[in-house]
Amino acid sequence: MQSSGYSIFIVEDDQSVRDALGLLLGLKGYPVTLFADAESFLNAYGQEWCGCLLIDIRMPKMDGLALQKRLLEIGCRIPVIIMTGHGDVVSAREAFRSQAVDFLEKPIDHTKLMKAIEEAFIRQTDVQSKENQRTKIDHLLGKLTPREKEVMELVVEGQHNREIAETLSISARTVEVHKARMMMKLQVESIPDLIRLCLVGYGKN
Amino acid sequence: MNSQITRFFQWTAFVTAYVALDWASYLHALHGFNITPWNPSLALGLVCSLRYGRLTAIPWLLALLLGEIVVRDLPAPILITIALSATLVAGYSTIAELLRRLVNTENILPDQKNLLLWLAVVIVGTLITSSLYISLLLVFDLLPTGDGIVALERFWIGDCVGIIVTMPFLWMLFQHRNRIYDILFRWETTGYGILAVIMLCVAFGLGGNGEFQYFYLLFIPIVWAAARQGMAGAAVAAFVLQAGIMAAVQWLNLVAVTAFELQMLGAVLAFVGLFIGVVIDEKQRLSAELRQTLRLVAAGEMAGALAHELNQPLTALSAYGMACEQLLEQGETGERLRETIRRMISESFRAADVVRRLRDFFRTGATQLEAVNLGELLASASAPFINKAQQQGVSLTIDTSSACTILADRLQLEVVFRNLLSNAFDAVADQPSGPRKIHISTHSASKKNICIYIKDSGLGLSGEKAGRLFEAFQSSKSSGLGLGLAISRAIVEAHGGQLLAEMTNHGLFKLTLPIAEKDEYAI
Repeated sequence: MQSSGYSIFIVEDDQSVRDALGLLLGLKGYPVTLFADAESFLNAYGQEWCGCLLIDIRMPKMDGLALQKRLLEIGCRIPVIIMTGHGDVVSAREAFRSQAVDFLEKPIDHTKLMKAIEEAFIRQTDVQSKENQRTKIDHLLGKLTPREKEVMELVVEGQHNREIAETLSISARTVEVHKARMMMKLQVESIPDLIRLCLVGYGKN
Repeated sequence: MNSQITRFFQWTAFVTAYVALDWASYLHALHGFNITPWNPSLALGLVCSLRYGRLTAIPWLLALLLGEIVVRDLPAPILITIALSATLVAGYSTIAELLRRLVNTENILPDQKNLLLWLAVVIVGTLITSSLYISLLLVFDLLPTGDGIVALERFWIGDCVGIIVTMPFLWMLFQHRNRIYDILFRWETTGYGILAVIMLCVAFGLGGNGEFQYFYLLFIPIVWAAARQGMAGAAVAAFVLQAGIMAAVQWLNLVAVTAFELQMLGAVLAFVGLFIGVVIDEKQRLSAELRQTLRLVAAGEMAGALAHELNQPLTALSAYGMACEQLLEQGETGERLRETIRRMISESFRAADVVRRLRDFFRTGATQLEAVNLGELLASASAPFINKAQQQGVSLTIDTSSACTILADRLQLEVVFRNLLSNAFDAVADQPSGPRKIHISTHSASKKNICIYIKDSGLGLSGEKAGRLFEAFQSSKSSGLGLGLAISRAIVEAHGGQLLAEMTNHGLFKLTLPIAEKDEYAI
């Protein structure tokens, strides 16, 4: 688990609860950052932040669920754990629909909290590795010439060299050259590897 | 031994009273038998049978025989008289038995179903008993054959009316004496009593020469009594009116036929009264139950509040506790550990404070209503705010010019006022500019209600906020629960009042409370 760089962000309006949770998680060895309300978190938020968010539902002005939605809107992918003193089905449902990791009722069961944090970190790692891979692939794909890209797409579709040559009205020999160069640039050894890479890279399409 | 003596006295008293009633109502008799327009003694027998059990049949038989001898000089040979009386007692005891099984005899005629059942048992039971009695008279040749039907009619109606008019009154007198005493010494009872006498005079004085065209006037006092005092009032009024009718009949020396017609009218009169009385009782019981439910709702809100507000310090406490463990594991025993423990202690004090604040609600348990002077209540509820007002430069004015006495749970209403006042203080604290003012005033909204306005110079409410204002856990503030207004409203509604927030450009809460009426003490 690469949780070394991960911090826990606590957004909770009650000063004692915030302080106590901060102290406890700090002692457990996590870097902790505390916020008294949703606005101060949003103002301070930076794209590079990663780890886990611990949000209280009932807060003045913007409540926890609204903050969760706002974060999804601005593309923040830090996993969220929701805490509440008054757990009802409606808010739990809303929290999970906004991809909360867990929904904890106060007073908080610390084993559950630790488990939830671990799960959140795993999710964060997952998100990050996928993102890293994608940026890497995007980077590699960026190196291809337009013709090489065309060839790649047709290869992935399953066409043979001769068919590709016909489609693009070039000689089979040229197709082979393009294909070799393309595979070298993308750092893949075989056609299955190429297809796998394209699946991740073009996953969104 | 003692119980036997008691029983002897009870029986003697019963027989004496029975014979006395028999004697008093022995008017317009047919052929010297107890076939009279009104047999109230029968009601006494039934009530005693219900109250003291089936053995009442023995003194009842004695009383019937004694009545035949003393009041009527033994119109039939003694053996036949015994047989006739035994038949009657058997019939009446059966009626009592049926009532015992079918009707709720604990609370006298508590609802419409019981009233109608009681009426059916009485009508059918007396019809069967009368038929048996008259058949026996015919068999023993004590009645001319042609008079059978007339005798049956009169005997049946006399019994029936005697029970319908007298039994609820006697029943209450025996089992719920308090209900009768409660209403007897009220100006209202005197009022409809006097009205009854006047109406009797009008009905028999002006319309006495034949058709009694003013008889319907007698409905006014009985409807008054029933509508205001329920079953108890109806029972008393029915009895009084019946006694009045019989006295008038005797005084005006009306013929027996007219007397019977009057009896029928009297029975209808009594029935209408009793029916209204039952409906009123039911309605009052329902509204009392509703109030109880609202009280429970308020208590539920308070319990919810307690749980919710305790959660915060408990969460902090357990987290600090875990942190202490962690510190000890790391070998830390110095200042950091001490500091964490200190915070734990302060959190536990915070929890205790929550409990202390909410204990006010629970101390009284259910809402206990007492007569409270509204002016004093407002003064004591706002006393803690006077200092605060001076410190924050808020002008706090209270106008209690139209204050009055209300029925309230002092403690709970104080909580409501304190809640509204502290909201008002928060509102003026957020106020951007201008003089800060909070004004409490009382206005008599109607004869039954008093209205209390709590006005502040703050920003007032937006439409969206006003909609969710009274819901639990909806707070626009960082501290507190968002339960204050929900609890306040529940408390006010448990008092039979209303709490509304007005949408204006300044803050305004309108609280309506019912004014104490003497009659409401009875509920």
